Amino acid sequence: MGVIDFLKDEGVDESLLEGVREFRDRYPVADENSIRVPDPEYRYYGRRIWELAIAAILAGKNLLLAGPKATGKNVLAENLAALFSRPMWTVSFHINTDAAWLVGTDTYDGNKVVFRAGPIYRCAAEGGFGVLDEINMAKNESLAVLHAALDFRRSIDIPGYDRIALRPETRFIATMNHGYAGTRDLNEALTSRFVVLDMPLMAEDDLVRLIGARYSHVNPKICAQFAKLYGELEKKAESGEISETALDLRGLLDAFALMEQGVSSGDALSMCIIDKTFDSYERGLIRDVIKARIPMDLTRDIVFEK
Amino acid sequence: MIKKNPSANERRSRNIIWNAAGSYDIEPYFLAYFPDGTQDLYLDMIIGLAYKWFDMDRLSDFFSRYEHVRRAEEFDAMLWLGLENCLFEKELPGRPVMRSLRHERGELFFENREGLSRQQMMYQSMPLFTQQEARWADACGRKRPVMSLREKRISERLRFEGSLDTEGVTERMRDFLKEYYRFDPYDVKNTSGTSHPLSFLFRREHKRKDTFLLRAGEIYKGHPKAVSLHHDGLGRFAGISKEDTGYIRDVFGECILPEREMNRFENEVCTGDDAPARIWISKKSPAERPAKKETAEIIGKRLRQKEKNDAYLKEHSMMVRSSIRALKAHMDTALSSFLRPLPEKAKTGALMSSQAYRLPVLNDPRVFLKDGDEIEAGIVADILLDASQSRMHAQESIAAEAYIIASSLVSLGIPVRVMTFRSIRGYTVLEVLKETAEKDCSGVMSYYAGGWNRDSLAIKTAGSYAPQGITGGTTRLMLVLTDANPNDSTPVGRDGLRSSAEYEGIIAVKDTEEAVIELKDKGIRTGAVFHGNPAHLCNAQQIYGNDYVQIRNVNQLARGAGTLLLKLICTE
Repeated sequence: MGVIDFLKDEGVDESLLEGVREFRDRYPVADENSIRVPDPEYRYYGRRIWELAIAAILAGKNLLLAGPKATGKNVLAENLAALFSRPMWTVSFHINTDAAWLVGTDTYDGNKVVFRAGPIYRCAAEGGFGVLDEINMAKNESLAVLHAALDFRRSIDIPGYDRIALRPETRFIATMNHGYAGTRDLNEALTSRFVVLDMPLMAEDDLVRLIGARYSHVNPKICAQFAKLYGELEKKAESGEISETALDLRGLLDAFALMEQGVSSGDALSMCIIDKTFDSYERGLIRDVIKARIPMDLTRDIVFEK
Repeated sequence: MIKKNPSANERRSRNIIWNAAGSYDIEPYFLAYFPDGTQDLYLDMIIGLAYKWFDMDRLSDFFSRYEHVRRAEEFDAMLWLGLENCLFEKELPGRPVMRSLRHERGELFFENREGLSRQQMMYQSMPLFTQQEARWADACGRKRPVMSLREKRISERLRFEGSLDTEGVTERMRDFLKEYYRFDPYDVKNTSGTSHPLSFLFRREHKRKDTFLLRAGEIYKGHPKAVSLHHDGLGRFAGISKEDTGYIRDVFGECILPEREMNRFENEVCTGDDAPARIWISKKSPAERPAKKETAEIIGKRLRQKEKNDAYLKEHSMMVRSSIRALKAHMDTALSSFLRPLPEKAKTGALMSSQAYRLPVLNDPRVFLKDGDEIEAGIVADILLDASQSRMHAQESIAAEAYIIASSLVSLGIPVRVMTFRSIRGYTVLEVLKETAEKDCSGVMSYYAGGWNRDSLAIKTAGSYAPQGITGGTTRLMLVLTDANPNDSTPVGRDGLRSSAEYEGIIAVKDTEEAVIELKDKGIRTGAVFHGNPAHLCNAQQIYGNDYVQIRNVNQLARGAGTLLLKLICTE
């Protein structure tokens, strides 16, 4: 099912979807970039967030997806690129991210010094969606180079080279998590160039659907128990009793992958969730939550329907 | 004998209850433990579910009505059997795992029973034991014990249906006590504390039970005849009472981290042998505050000690200044190369115009500059001062040593935080004398000694409590000024349980060694300046490996600390 059809089923406002169709018609993707248009493995669930995000993109705004771990920030970014059928460039930010890394740098091609375009440059020049992952990992000063690209000027001036204008279909989607070690708050100058979507924690029903979409033959009752388990871990992490390490959506989905291969529920959950925490006391707390929700001896035949 | 203070992991028990209740804002009135002090997962869940399904204010009001009578514990255990059935039925449709948990709990009961000696069996509370046996036999599909007609009736009456609401179960509990114990909790006459005339029949009760249901709620506190099973003194932080916490607050000021963050913090570092201890992190203690006589005296002593420290510094100002200069000079060159990332030639990067000719002439493409492997890094240092009683005789010189090191580092542009650590009344208290951002090092002169020292916990805490301004590329240094003789009045714990072993000698040294290894694994470069009894030098060697120096007086500090700091900075 294509993303548009999926959103139709989700009940997303038809006028917004119409806007998406017009956008896609107006800005067809070039053949050489088609490989960069993502085909997401997971869908993002949450009608309201979808509608807000689509509206922001259609309005020509750049999006900042802010929220705690496992709220689907990157999934939404990837889904948006797929929905609007745009090639995607992902830049993972780190402490040493600088202008050269983002925009490009000089290099020697065998004959002369040439400019080697960075991901932001290519994204701007080819009308892509640039995903600025964990944008708050980098120092604010090194991101100043993005200011002109993100505001009304929509351009990038490269010292020693030309000033290029962003193609009209170019958008930037940044993600950030306040809680991670090493992150910092974005400064006002940068934040003001985005519209901010505060990503909510995944609702239990949405999680059931997410698991069901990936593992269509999962036993619905067991799937519901796993979703409840995730909610319980979320609550425990929120209350500060355990760290966010155990709150691992990927881990939960990985547990299903292992169970599909015949690993028992207890072993799968140990490998994918419990043992990711290295503190024995915390592991005990997590194990208690899991034991209080999921039998440790579920086999593949029970978890999955034939 | 009944163990009134079983060592147990209280916090874990509470976590199970909170999880089942779906709320972390409640203070459970009951906690369930096995006799060995480990948490009873199933019954703790049942307690939590009571919060989920019932109005616990009303239920706890019911429980409080008889909490002063001699058989309160038996009433509790019987009534919770009734509630167990009701809550099991209520929760089962939404939580199918309840059936297997109940089964598992039942099997544990029988395993436990088989381990009882003949003598222990004689001490069982037989009416209660029979009811429990019947309940868990049903849960496991085992044969029920032989029961009298009365016992069978009780067993049936204790099967509260899942359809009951708060009012329904309260009514059932009241009827049950009236019918089988001739006791009415709502009858004022019965609340006088006199025992039931038939109590002699149950004289041998409560010598040993399958599970301790402990009353832990505030509602019971202070009642003159309350069952003395209040949670203070139990669990993970056994032995630490609210009075102790109040004392720590009076002497050291408020903990600078919010309670929730502190919980998270304690979960992280109060592990292994340090499980029974707690942490308190405060900033420079309040010099003047309304205090009790006991704490006022301590605060007075501290102020007097500060005056002595200041006087010492003044008296030895020449030596202090020259030590600061010497230490600074010792480190200056090495530090400047460490802090400056060296760019290296590369095939890509920023063009070096002066070298551009090499491209066409020599066909050398390496005319660009890029950052070398050496990343841009900053250094943040922590100075951790052992402030235990054993440092009493050298307080002025220790304060001066810390002042010298801190001032030298600050003048080199390295942010420094200075903290003391000591253990008192179960708490390991870290007191920040100088914050990282402060340029002024005079706060260090507030140093004074007193209390025990649980080095392992202090070091782990200082490591986890990162100073502000730490980023991915920052190098953290931890310098401990110590006599390498860890010793604490709170014994060691094992997996959340208390053990009889004291925190001293080989155990304490081993724990501290592990704490230092843990810090080093985290990338925090840790070393020690040993200034103490030479008999403990081998401890320093075991704990810090080669990363320590021994000094005998302040004059030796500049050279010793300088060498050590350089070693820590330059060694990967």
